[in-house]
Amino acid sequence: MRKIFILARREYRTAVRTKSFIIGLVLAPVFMGGSLIAFALLKDKVDLTEKHIAVIDHSGIMSDYLLQAVEERNKTEIFNQEKGEQVKPVYRLEIIPADTEDLQQLRIGLSERVRSKQIHAFIEIGPEILHPGKDAEKSRIKYYSENSAVDEVRDWFSWPVNNRIRQLRVEELNLTEETMKDLFTWINLDGLGLITVDKKTGDIQDARQISIGDTIIVPYIIVFLMFMMVLMSAIPLLTAVMEEKMNRIAEVLLGSVTPFEFMMGKILGGIAVSLTASAVYVAGGIITARQLDAGNMIPYDVLPWFFIFMVLNIVMVGSGMAALGSACNDNKDASALQFPAMIPVILPLFVMMPVIQEPLSSFSTGLSMFPPFTPMLMLLRLATPVTIPLWQPVAGLAGVLVFTILSVWAGGRIFRTCILLQGQKPKLVNLVRYVVRG
Amino acid sequence: MNIIELRGITKKFDGLVAVNNLSLNVPQGSIYGFIGPNGSGKTTTIRMIMNILYPDSGQIFLFGSEHYGARMENVGYLPEERGLYKKMKVRDLLFFHGELKNGKNLAHEIDYWLKKMDLSAWAEKRAETLSKGMSQKLQFIATIIDRPQLIILDEPFSGLDPVNAEVIRTAVLELQKSGATIIFSTHDMNMAEMMCDYIFMIYKGNKVLDGTLESIKDAYGADTIRIHSEKGMEALAGIPGIAAVNDFGQMQEIRMEAGADVHKILSGIIARTKVSRFEVTKPSLNDIFIRIARPVKSEEYA
Repeated sequence: MRKIFILARREYRTAVRTKSFIIGLVLAPVFMGGSLIAFALLKDKVDLTEKHIAVIDHSGIMSDYLLQAVEERNKTEIFNQEKGEQVKPVYRLEIIPADTEDLQQLRIGLSERVRSKQIHAFIEIGPEILHPGKDAEKSRIKYYSENSAVDEVRDWFSWPVNNRIRQLRVEELNLTEETMKDLFTWINLDGLGLITVDKKTGDIQDARQISIGDTIIVPYIIVFLMFMMVLMSAIPLLTAVMEEKMNRIAEVLLGSVTPFEFMMGKILGGIAVSLTASAVYVAGGIITARQLDAGNMIPYDVLPWFFIFMVLNIVMVGSGMAALGSACNDNKDASALQFPAMIPVILPLFVMMPVIQEPLSSFSTGLSMFPPFTPMLMLLRLATPVTIPLWQPVAGLAGVLVFTILSVWAGGRIFRTCILLQGQKPKLVNLVRYVVRG
Repeated sequence: MNIIELRGITKKFDGLVAVNNLSLNVPQGSIYGFIGPNGSGKTTTIRMIMNILYPDSGQIFLFGSEHYGARMENVGYLPEERGLYKKMKVRDLLFFHGELKNGKNLAHEIDYWLKKMDLSAWAEKRAETLSKGMSQKLQFIATIIDRPQLIILDEPFSGLDPVNAEVIRTAVLELQKSGATIIFSTHDMNMAEMMCDYIFMIYKGNKVLDGTLESIKDAYGADTIRIHSEKGMEALAGIPGIAAVNDFGQMQEIRMEAGADVHKILSGIIARTKVSRFEVTKPSLNDIFIRIARPVKSEEYA
C-alpha cells in the first residue's frame, strides 16, 4: 500500500503541476458556463435604434388603436426611470392605405424597403380578424421581416392587436370592464415539491417551488461533472500506460513494485486529481449558486453519492484503460482502442433525457442498475427531485463495487501479462486469454 | 550461502522454450556474469529472478527462501531497456526510486552517488536534459540508491564510452566490497573476464557454461595459439592440426585439434614464413563464447 501511495503521489504531483491541468481547471467551467454568462451579459444589450413598422390594415379597426398603443408605449415603456436611461427602442408606425389595386406589388415594395433598412417590418392585418369566417386567409395577421421568428417587435404587437380584438368582442357582448378581466385571467398550476417534516425537531418545511433548473439542469450538471472527471483522469491512463511501456519506464518500476501496485498507483493518482478538480468545481458551484440566490437548488444530499460513485467509476474505467494501455504497442493501437473503450462512459449520456423525465420507469431503473452505467445514471436519478427508493442506490453501489473489483482483477491480469510484452496486437481474443490464464 | 538458487526452472513462450530446466547457484558477495548471444534467454532468466515473469516449472530461492509473490526489497534491478520519467528533476527522481525501495539516508546517498558519478551539477535539472551516458549513470544510481544486497544489471555497459564504463565498473566493485552480490549480463567479454568471479553462459535456453573463469578455461585446456607472422593467414592454410583460425589482422588465433602437436604446427608455419610471436595459451572467454555460439562457422575452416 505504501508503494501505491508513493506512485500515486508522483502521478498526482506531475498532473496538477502541468499547465494544462491549471488552465483546464479554470477553462472548463468557463466553457460550460460561458454561453450562459454571455447570454446573461448580452440580454441587456438592446438595440436602441428606432424601429419603423408599416401596417396595412384590411380590417379598418386596428390602425388608430395601434397608433395610440405605440404612442403610449413610447411614452411609458422605453425609459427606465430609476436609471434615467432609455432601455427599449422607439417604435414608429406608418399606416399604408389598403385600397390598392395591386396588393402583391405593394408587398414587394415594402419588402424592398425592409431589405434596404428603411423600415424594420410590415404587418398585414386580414379583413375578418374580428369574426374569423370560413376563409382562414382573411383572418390572418401577417408579420413580414427579415428575422420574423425571433423578433421582439412581433412579440410586442401581438398584445395591442389582441387587446383591441378582445375589446371589440367584449363590447359586442355588452360586458363590463371588470368582468372582462376575470374572463381572461389564466391561472397556471405551480409545480411544487413535497412537504417535509424534520425528524429531530418536528419542524415542518414547506414545499418548495420546483423549477426546470431543479428538474433538468442540476442533474445534467452533476452527471456532466462526473463525465468530465472520468475523461480527465481515467481515460488518459490508456495512453499514459502505453507511453510508459514504450519508454521502458515500466520495467524499471517493476524492479521495485508489482504490476498491480503499478496499476493501482496510477489509478489512485488519477482519483486524487479528480477529487481535487471536482472539489474545486463543486465548491465553486455552491458559492456561485448562493451568490445568485439559487443555493436551494444545490442537492447537498446527492453530493456524497457523487463522490462515492465518481471514485468507483474512475477505478472501474481506469483499470480497464490501464489494462488496454499495457496491451498497446504504439499510438495507432491506442487510438484504435480509445473510442470503443470509452463507450460505457459515453452511452449513459445518450439516455439522460428519458431518465430525467421518468426517473422511476423500469427503463431508468434497469439501466441504472447495470454496473458500468450505475455511477452516472443512478446519480442522475438521485439528482432529480423525485425520491428514489434507498435500496436502489445501495444495491447499485454494491453492484458497482463487485464490478469494480472484477474490473481491477481482470485489468491487473492483463496488465501483468502485457506490460512487458512487445509486438503483440491488442486483440480481444488475446486479452480474454490473458484474463483467463493470468 | 547462496543468494540465488534456481532449481530446474523452465519458461516457454507460445510453445518455444526460452529457458530450459535451468539450475544455478549464486554465492553471496560474488559477481556473477551472465553471457550468451542475443535471444538466448539471459533477460528471461533475469526477469524470472525478479519475479516479473513466472517460471512454468521449477523453483527460485532468494536469500534462502522460496521466491513467490512480490519480494523486491534488497534487490536492485537495472533492466536492459530502461527509461526514466523525463520531466522529473534528477534529485526528485532518485528520491522517488529510493522511496519505492524503502531506502535509508536518501538525501545523503543521493548526494554521494551524484558526486561519484560526476552528476552533482545536474541534480536540479530535468532528466530529459541529460545526455545518453549521463542518463545511464542516473539509471544506475536509481538502481542501487537503497544499497541493496542483490544487484541485477542487464547490460549495464551497453552504449557507454570507456570513461563512463569505468565509472560504473568502479561503482560495482565498491558495492561488492560493501557486501552486495552482483549479477550482470554483458556482451563485453573483456569486462566479464576482468570483473566476474563466476561466469554463466546460456545458449538457446540451455546452460552451457557455469563456474569460475579459471575452471571454464581449464575445461577447454591450452588449445589456443596466438601467432604473428609476415604472411599472416596465408601461411596457415592446410597445416595439419589446426581446427579453426580467428583472424585479427595483425594476429591470428589458432584453435588446435584435440591431440594435435604444437611443435609440428610451429615447424609447419616456420617453413612458410618468418614468425615474430608464438604463444600457446588457454582460449579467451570471447573465443569460448564464439565457439559455443558459432560452432558451425568455426568448423568450416577445417
